[in-house]
Amino acid sequence: MSRDIHLYLSLIPEALIASMLTPEEFGVYYAAGTAKKARGQAVFFEVDPDFRHDYFRIEEGIQRCVPHEDGSPKASIYISVYRVLEHVPLSELGELYLVTADGRVLGLDASETVPESTRGLHLYQEIAPVHPMVVSSLGPTAFYELIVKNPNILLRLPAICFAELRLGDLAEDPEEGNVGDLPYSRVEHLRQCLVALSTKTVDAKMVNRTAPATFSYRTIKSGIYVGNESDLLFFPFPTVEELRADHYRWFRSAWST
Amino acid sequence: MIATQAWAVIALFAGFVAVGVALWLYRWVHQQDPGSERAQEVASWIREGARTYLGRLYVVLTLMAAGMGFIIAMVFAFDIEHLGTEAVRIAPARGLAMALAFLAGALCSAIAGYMGMTIAVEANVRSATAAQESLSGAFKVAFYAGSVMGLAMVGLAIIGMSTIYLLTGDPEIILGFSFGASALALLAKAGGGIYTKTADIAADLVGKIEIGIPEDDPRNPAVVADNVGDNVGDVAGMGADVFDSYVASTVAAMLLGASIFAADPVLQLRHVLFPLMLSTLGIVASLIGIRLVRVEKGGRPGRALNSGTIFTTAIFAALATALVLLGGYSLGLLWATLAGLVTGVVIGFTSDYYTSARFRPVVETARVSGSGAAINIITGFSYGLVSIVPSIVGIVMATLLSYYLTDVYGISGIYGVGISAVGMLSISGMIVSSDAYGPIVDNARGIAEMAGMSQEVIDTTDVLDAAGNTAKAITKGFAISAAALTVLALFAAYAEVVGARGIALVISLRDPVVVAGVLLGAVTPPLFSALTMLSVTHNAFDMIEEVRRQFEERPGILAGTEPPDYAACVGLAARGALASLVWPAFLAVALPLLVGFVLGPEALGGFLGGSIFTGVIFALLMSNAGGLWDNAKKYIEAGRFGGPGSDAHKAGVVGDTVGDPFKDTAGPSLNTLITVMSLVSSLFAPVIAALHLFR
Repeated sequence: MSRDIHLYLSLIPEALIASMLTPEEFGVYYAAGTAKKARGQAVFFEVDPDFRHDYFRIEEGIQRCVPHEDGSPKASIYISVYRVLEHVPLSELGELYLVTADGRVLGLDASETVPESTRGLHLYQEIAPVHPMVVSSLGPTAFYELIVKNPNILLRLPAICFAELRLGDLAEDPEEGNVGDLPYSRVEHLRQCLVALSTKTVDAKMVNRTAPATFSYRTIKSGIYVGNESDLLFFPFPTVEELRADHYRWFRSAWST
Repeated sequence: MIATQAWAVIALFAGFVAVGVALWLYRWVHQQDPGSERAQEVASWIREGARTYLGRLYVVLTLMAAGMGFIIAMVFAFDIEHLGTEAVRIAPARGLAMALAFLAGALCSAIAGYMGMTIAVEANVRSATAAQESLSGAFKVAFYAGSVMGLAMVGLAIIGMSTIYLLTGDPEIILGFSFGASALALLAKAGGGIYTKTADIAADLVGKIEIGIPEDDPRNPAVVADNVGDNVGDVAGMGADVFDSYVASTVAAMLLGASIFAADPVLQLRHVLFPLMLSTLGIVASLIGIRLVRVEKGGRPGRALNSGTIFTTAIFAALATALVLLGGYSLGLLWATLAGLVTGVVIGFTSDYYTSARFRPVVETARVSGSGAAINIITGFSYGLVSIVPSIVGIVMATLLSYYLTDVYGISGIYGVGISAVGMLSISGMIVSSDAYGPIVDNARGIAEMAGMSQEVIDTTDVLDAAGNTAKAITKGFAISAAALTVLALFAAYAEVVGARGIALVISLRDPVVVAGVLLGAVTPPLFSALTMLSVTHNAFDMIEEVRRQFEERPGILAGTEPPDYAACVGLAARGALASLVWPAFLAVALPLLVGFVLGPEALGGFLGGSIFTGVIFALLMSNAGGLWDNAKKYIEAGRFGGPGSDAHKAGVVGDTVGDPFKDTAGPSLNTLITVMSLVSSLFAPVIAALHLFR
C-alpha cells in the first residue's frame, strides 16, 4: 500500500521533515518510538505537502523519503534544521500537534480570531526559533508585535512561536500571590522578574535564558501563538474539562509530569 | 450460664461460621460481572502473576514447614520435664502433636492467604466493572472481597486453636500452632514486601521518571508486576501478619492463664478459655460490623470503613462487658480488654495523623520539598521519629492500665497485659477486611486504566483507592501496636515457661550476659531491615535493567504497537523475593536459639527485650515515615507547591522512593520478626532452660 508523503515543521528542535507517517504516527515516533534514545516532548505543525520554497530542497528530501527494504514506511528525512520557521508562510501550516514525552498526541486547530489580552502580567515560553522564558506586561498580541514587528527593538526575530503560560495569582499579585500548582523552578526569581516589570521601564524581562524548549503542557494558559512579519495565528488550548472528556489519555500523560 | 468447657466448642462453631460467611462472600463476589474482554484479559495477567508467585512461595514454605516440623517433632519427643537429666524419657506423641500443630498453623495461615489472594485477583476487575455503574456497587464488591480475607483469617485461626485445645487441653501445643502461623507470616510478609517494592520502584523509576508515562500505563513492562505486588504484599502479607499476631496474642494469654492459675484447676480452665471467648466475640462483632459497612449514593468510602471499625469496636466492647458480667469474671479483665481495644483503634487513627494529607506532618513535608530531596527526607524522617511517641505512649498506657487494673482486682497483672493484647486484636476480622479492600481497589484502578475504561470510571476508582490508602495506614499502626502488646505478653509467657522449669528468670542490666543479650536483640531488627531493603534495591536494579532493555530493544512498546513482556518482570520479582528470604528467616529463627543455647535463658530474655524495643520503634518509624513521604508526594501531585513536574514534586518522588521499602517491606515485617522470635523463644524455652552453655 502506497503512503502519502507528509511535511512537518518541528519546533523542538526547529526542523522541516518529510515523513511517510501520519501526524499521529509521526508524533509517537518522534517522541517515543525510536531506539536511539532520541525521545522526549515534541511540538510540530503539519505543513501543506505541496509547499515549496527556494530556501528548502524539499523535492530532494521527498525523493529520499521511500519505504525501508522491509516495506516499513520511512519515518523521517530531515530537509532543514536552520531558520525554518521564518521561511514557512503561516498559510501553509495545518494542525499543530503537541506530543507528550511518552508519545500521546493532541492536535490543535488554529482559531480564526486571536483572543483579547487578559488583565495582569503574562508569562511566555518561547518555543522557536529561540526558547527563553519571558515575563511581560504585554498581552500575547502586543508581545508578538514587540518581538517581530517592532523595527526599533534590539532583539528582533523574523518569526516566533510561543506559548502563553499560566501565572495564577502571581499575574495580579507577584509579591504575595500563591504559587498553587505552577511547577516553575526558582519561583522567587520569577516573582522578582514580575515585580521588576512594574518598577522598571521595560515591557518584557527574561526569566530564564537557558530554559529548554520543552515545557509542561499543563501550564499553558490560553494557547500557542505563531507569527511572522505578516501574520499571527493562534491555536487555542482546550480547557481541562474538555481534555479530560475528549482526550483523556493525552490529559493523563500531560498532567502527570 | 454456658459451661466453661463449652466455650471451646462455641469458638470452633464461630470459626466455622466465619469461614462459611467468607466462602459465601467469595461466591457472591465471583458471581459479579467480570466486565469486558479487555478488562478480563488485563485482570488475567495480574491473576496469573499472583498465582505464579504464590505457587513458588508455597513450595518454599512447604519445604520450610516440613523441615521445621521434623525438628520440632524430634526436639519435643523428649520428655522436656527431665531434659538434661538421666531421667529423661522419650515421648514421641507429644513431639508429633507439637509438629502437627506447627504444620496446622502454617497451613491455616496459608489457606487464609490463598483465599484472600484468590478472591482479591477476581474482585479487582469486578470492582472496576461495577464502577461503571456506581461507586457504591464497586465499593461493595471490593469490601466484601476484602472481608473474605478478614473472616477466613479469624475463622481459621479460631478453628485451629479451639480444635487443638479440645484435642489436647494443652495451651503449649497451641504455641506450636502459633509458631507455624508466624513462621509462614514472616516469609509471606517479608517476601511480599520485597516483591511489591521491587516492582513498584522499577515501574516508577523507569516508566514514570525516565520515560514519562503515567501510573498504571499498560505500556510499562513492570505494571503487571506492580499490581501483583499490591496483592502479595498487602493482601497475603498483611493478612498473614495480623493472623500471626492474632493467634500469638490468644496463645500467650492462654499460656499465662494456665501458668498463673495452675493452683486451681477450675480457675485455670476459666482463664485459659477466656482469651478464646474474647476472640469468639470478636468474630461476632466483626460479622455484624462488616454487615453495617456500606456506601450510599454519593457517600464517602473512607468514612464507611472508619464507621465500620468504630461500630465493630463498640459491639465488641458491649459483648465483652456482657461476658465478664454474666460469666462472673473479674471486672479487671474487662478493663484490660477495653484498654487494649481502645488503644489499638486510637493508635491506628494516630498513624493516620502522621500519614494523611489532612494533617500538618504531610503538608509540611510537601511544603519544604521545594528546597530539595534532602530537606524532604530530613523532614519526613523527623516526623517519622516523632510519630513513634504517641504509639509508644499508647502501648505504655495499655500495658500499665491493663496490668494495674487487673492487679487491683486480685488477678496477676501480667495476665491482664495478655488480655489487653487479645482485646486489641479481637476485631482483626474487621481490620483486615478494611485493609484487604485497599489493594483490591488499587488494582481496580489499574485495570480501569489499562483496559481503557472511561474517565468517569477511573475517577470513581480513584475515590475508592484514596479510602484504601487511609485504611492501609490505620492497619499498619494497629498491626504494630498489636504486635508490641502481643510480644510483651509472649515475653511474660516465656518467663512463666522458664519459671515452670525451676529457673527464676532474673533479667538484670547488671548482669553482663543479659546486657549481651539485650544488645544482640537490639541489633536484630535493624539488621533484618537492612537485609530486606537491600534485597529490594538489588532486585529493583535487575528489574530496572529489564524494563530499560524492553523499551530500548522494542520501540513498539512505547508506540503502542506491541505488548511488553510482563511475564519477564513478574518472574524477576518472584524469583528475587523468594531468594532474598533465606537470611531474614535465618535471623528470626536461628538467632534466638543461638543466644538461648549459648548464653542461657536470662540472655535470651534480654535478647527478646532488646529486639522488642528496637523492633517496635523501627517498625513505627519506617511505616509512618514511608506513608508520610508517599502522601507528601501525592499532596504535591494534587496541585500544591507547584504540582507535577515541579522541583517540589521531584523531591517528593525521591522521598517516596526512599520510603517505599520503609513502609511496605521492612517496617511491617518487623512486627512478624519480633513475634516469631518471641514464639521461638517461648516454644523452645523448656529446652533452653535445660540445655545451655553458660550457667
